[in-house]
Amino acid sequence: MDLVIDNLPFLFKGAYYTLLITVVSMFFGLIIGLITAIARLKGNRFFRTIARVYVSIIRGTPPLVQLVIVYYGLVDYGIELGALTAAYIALSINIGAYVSEAFRGAIQAVPAGQTEAALATGMTEGQAIRRIVIPQAIRISIPPLGNTFVGMLKETSLVSVIAVTELLRSAQLLIAQYYVYMPFYLSIAVMYWILSTAFTFILNEIEKRLSVY
Amino acid sequence: MIQANDLSKSYDQHEVLKHISLTIPAHQVVAVIGPSGSGKSTFLRCLNGLETITGGSVSINNHLLKATDKKKTRLKTIHEIRQDTGMVFQQFNLYPHKTVIENVMEALIIVKKQSKSTAKTVAAQLLKRVGLQEKEDVYPSKLSGGQQQRVAIARALAMEPKIMLFDEPTSALDPELVGEVLKVMKELADEGMTMVIVTHEMRFAESAADRILFMADGQIVEDSEPKAFFAQPATERAQKFLAKVNEF
Repeated sequence: MDLVIDNLPFLFKGAYYTLLITVVSMFFGLIIGLITAIARLKGNRFFRTIARVYVSIIRGTPPLVQLVIVYYGLVDYGIELGALTAAYIALSINIGAYVSEAFRGAIQAVPAGQTEAALATGMTEGQAIRRIVIPQAIRISIPPLGNTFVGMLKETSLVSVIAVTELLRSAQLLIAQYYVYMPFYLSIAVMYWILSTAFTFILNEIEKRLSVY
Repeated sequence: MIQANDLSKSYDQHEVLKHISLTIPAHQVVAVIGPSGSGKSTFLRCLNGLETITGGSVSINNHLLKATDKKKTRLKTIHEIRQDTGMVFQQFNLYPHKTVIENVMEALIIVKKQSKSTAKTVAAQLLKRVGLQEKEDVYPSKLSGGQQQRVAIARALAMEPKIMLFDEPTSALDPELVGEVLKVMKELADEGMTMVIVTHEMRFAESAADRILFMADGQIVEDSEPKAFFAQPATERAQKFLAKVNEF
């Protein structure tokens, strides 16, 4: 226990990176996901196909494989990314696919009458989607997005394999130094759990905030 | 004001509207009645491009929309047509995430590019007109069906349409709420609005409309004055329909 307390600053630094990677990937994943969802629902055949293939590949391959392709694989083509950058890119692309599925379901859950009403008042299709459909879809998508994000938070542990010192790797480094396992693994488990709970709490609050009607 | 020429609509093999031709002059109030599945709503939705016509043409306030138009021309014409038409739906379709006044303001801001304060003034006047000035800041879910439909009418009127299309505006309402909506519509008719109303309210059609279109199987079977139609419909199809409606 003392060992853990002595090394808390180091573990906190790991937690900071875990959180940073999660938030950055979430941010870009949301943008990618929204674009992909709209491309799948409203795009022409070309964009629809691209979006569908993207989602299919990402969901059909392990995130660890995606990560090593971005970090190690691209080196073959002269693209050398920093570990953190590679983590951001791989995880953003990964989560974008899942986010797009959440958004797609949510957009489809908004009744067609909403779009029709907006079109009937003279809005263009784009205006109707932006002003009427998306705001309603975002609220509907929060519960599935919450699951995706919590999953994401835990998936960040994968980036320890490309030597980003996030939570899992900081524990491993400490273990290598002190030759005791349990206290460090248990403490990072607790930290993951606290972070997940905090995330869920925040998302619930956002959902409540959006449920004024 | 409205002109349909050989207007047809089919889904794959199924023909929903069969070669409809008619002219509706300005300020006329037309009630479209007929059994369900007769194509009434589809006809109405073809008038503002919510359904794509597959044959013939329709002209709304001199904007001519032909089935043969290329997609780009069609979208442009439909966009112009929608500036001149307002529509009221059976299910109201108010925006649930916006307050009552925001529902009315939305298109003023987005389509007409009005400032928020101008839009607010216009919207407030319209809500007053439909008797809902005290509900400005509540969300639609807090309103009764009749109130929601009156907001929907105000929302459509905000765009200053030359034509109002009503798609079974009272069919989703509790019986005691039908009157308040019909009253607003009657006032609108008396002010000279050109209106096409798909309805099952026979008494309203008789008293408020200038003209009855009776539709069956995708065609206009009868086109006559309300008094004549309700006293003695010319076709057997319409006689049967009215007999059924008046059965109880």
